[in-house]
Amino acid sequence: MTNTKLIVSHAPFWHNGDSLFQQNLNFFIALLPAALFGIFHFGAPALGVLALAASSAMLWEVIMSALSKKKMAIADMESAVIGLLFGMMVPATMPWWVVITGTFIAVVLGKFVFGGTGGNPFHPTLVGLAILTMSWPAFLDFDTAYVSYQFDFTALAPLVALKSQGTSALASFSNYDLLMGNEVGGIGSTFGLGIIIGGIYLILKGYARWEIVASFIAGILITATLFFVLHPDTYAPPLFHLLSGYTLIGAFFLAVENSSSPVNRIPMLIYGFLGGFMIILVRNIGVYPDGTILAILLINLVNPLIDIIRPKALGKGVSNA
Amino acid sequence: MIKRSFFALSKPRLTYDLLDTSLQSAQELAVPGSLTLLLPEEIDSAKKALIGPGDAVKKGQKLKLYDDSTPYVLSPVAGTIKEFDSYSDDFGSTGTYIVVKPDPSAQGDDQWAQADLEQTLEFAADYLGQIPGALPVSTLTNPNYDIRTIVVTGADADILCDTCQFVCTAYAGLMVAGAKILKAMTRADRMCITVPENLSAQVDLDGFNVLRTSDTYPSNLPAMVMKDHLGKTLSPGAIPEDEGVCFIRPEALVSLAQIYETGHPVFDKIITLIDKGGKKYRVKATIGTPISKIFSCFNVQINERDRIIIGGPMRGFATYTAHHPVVPDMDTIMVQDSDVVPELLDNACVNCGECVRICPANIPVNLLVRYLEANLYEEAADRFDLESCIECGLCGYVCRARIPLYQYIRLGKHELLTLRENA
Ligand code: SF4
Ligand code: SF4
Repeated sequence: MTNTKLIVSHAPFWHNGDSLFQQNLNFFIALLPAALFGIFHFGAPALGVLALAASSAMLWEVIMSALSKKKMAIADMESAVIGLLFGMMVPATMPWWVVITGTFIAVVLGKFVFGGTGGNPFHPTLVGLAILTMSWPAFLDFDTAYVSYQFDFTALAPLVALKSQGTSALASFSNYDLLMGNEVGGIGSTFGLGIIIGGIYLILKGYARWEIVASFIAGILITATLFFVLHPDTYAPPLFHLLSGYTLIGAFFLAVENSSSPVNRIPMLIYGFLGGFMIILVRNIGVYPDGTILAILLINLVNPLIDIIRPKALGKGVSNA
Repeated sequence: MIKRSFFALSKPRLTYDLLDTSLQSAQELAVPGSLTLLLPEEIDSAKKALIGPGDAVKKGQKLKLYDDSTPYVLSPVAGTIKEFDSYSDDFGSTGTYIVVKPDPSAQGDDQWAQADLEQTLEFAADYLGQIPGALPVSTLTNPNYDIRTIVVTGADADILCDTCQFVCTAYAGLMVAGAKILKAMTRADRMCITVPENLSAQVDLDGFNVLRTSDTYPSNLPAMVMKDHLGKTLSPGAIPEDEGVCFIRPEALVSLAQIYETGHPVFDKIITLIDKGGKKYRVKATIGTPISKIFSCFNVQINERDRIIIGGPMRGFATYTAHHPVVPDMDTIMVQDSDVVPELLDNACVNCGECVRICPANIPVNLLVRYLEANLYEEAADRFDLESCIECGLCGYVCRARIPLYQYIRLGKHELLTLRENA
């Protein structure tokens, strides 16, 4: 026993087994229902885009880690999730070079320039999408993206239709259709039910904070209801807003990204609510049809400002010295 | 090891172990061929030492390095000093190992036979600083503290451990007697004892104010006991002693009673060994015994890359050698197989918030760790509540990025103290 090499490390000597890999794996699993539906719905091109988005994001991660001489963290699957989310939010017909440019922006500008995992103030996927929207909006136009497709439902992006035609367009979209994915949109962002199921799974597993999701949805519903009650002819009903566009994927998967969202309870509630509120403002008053990307980037921005609201630490303010 | 449950919406709950009643008594271990005594003072080659290798020592003899030193150890046996060695702990504090070779033929005339056993703190400070259970005499005699309440830790502070519970139940009579002696020595007018609320063993705790603590970690840690049972929330950086409260192991009281009853010093430390499978063994070993002797006594194999932990899984420390000696405050030794040693990484914090949600002291660990990593200790204390930490280790237990958070925090506190002392 004299020379047995022992491991010396520091307390605690137990760990609950959680890891970044577990977190990202669970995100991946939770995204699968909606992603699979997208493949089923939009066919082989959708599979191509998802695969390319996830793999190219991972490739950028490898290249960037090598260049910046950082530890390879590819096995944590973070980039895979960033890429998959990107793929799920774009049309199935997006050209390959746009996809890899998008994931490049997401991984490099969204994550690496901020020091990598944990440092990003914004959701990397959204950084990628936002820049694409600004530079090449045509590739994110869901109405033109699917012209060669034959659908047995209204092949118009609901929110765009709402913006251009006003509430008269609403008749073509039933809530049931929106929930079941009978709409055009991003590959994995149309199947509302799948997103909700995946999202709830993620919450139950403890990888998404329910406070953010719930307050985000509350923000949407409450704000939209206010508009709707005041001017039912001009504004769409709350459920339409909740079920269309990127709203659900935003609420369940994007707003909850760790690094860009608060950890304390009250800030989480404010953050989520503000996100939902902003989306409706953009849609009802602003110029963009959707607004989810913008709204979440905005709450990402204010996150550090609100996350300072936190409970008093033990013994703080006690004066029995 | 308790893993995250499949659904992890609610906070994980770590519970304390109740006394393992299948172990009725502690197995006595024979005095080994050589004892290592740990003296918290460094060898200073410029000074002339009072003792040296080759010197004969008597049982109970007080050993100290220099005339003006305060730290001392009592030799548990009669024998010869074989050698000195230096050691350093986790935080770089240094000291000296004194290796004593027992001589069975030497007569057991200890110095104590002549000494008057006085029931005073001065006597305790002089002779009882190293009794099994580690009576905190330096705290009790420190003029800066006015200790009025003594809390006996009948409920072990760390999970998995049950040594204190065992001592309380198996030696209740001696413990009560020891408490009376201690009360007579000190100015304490209140004697409390923590007992796990669901411990069914009936013990007569005469004269004690019984505090029933919950089974959820970390309710037995001093700061929590202060807050939940004594109604005193420690202000950041304060210790229970500042509030006149001193925490003492039940074994210290038992040793005290034995000493005053017999007139002889005692050196048998009760220890619980927890093997890789979680099985417990109870042993009584002479202070200074290398812990490897305890392993061989119970046929516990130690392999390459295993981990030997002194203390419990949340707050203990790992030793690099199986020759580490038994010391007065060692309650638990735990062996962990190399397979289950959790991997700690040098990831950056991903802001998942797990640590923030579990921290019983409401510390923003996610922000704190960024400052600790950057060695900004003053900021960490001023803005991110470093000093409110009660050192439970839960943040490290849940950290998703596997950052050694607890180590950062302990080190941070240590550095902060050093900074302030030098300021
Ligand atoms: S060790 Fe960690 S969890 Fe425990 S009190 Fe300190 S900061 Fe909080
Ligand atoms: S648990 Fe670890 S990764 Fe998560 S917020 Fe705390 S320090 Fe950061």
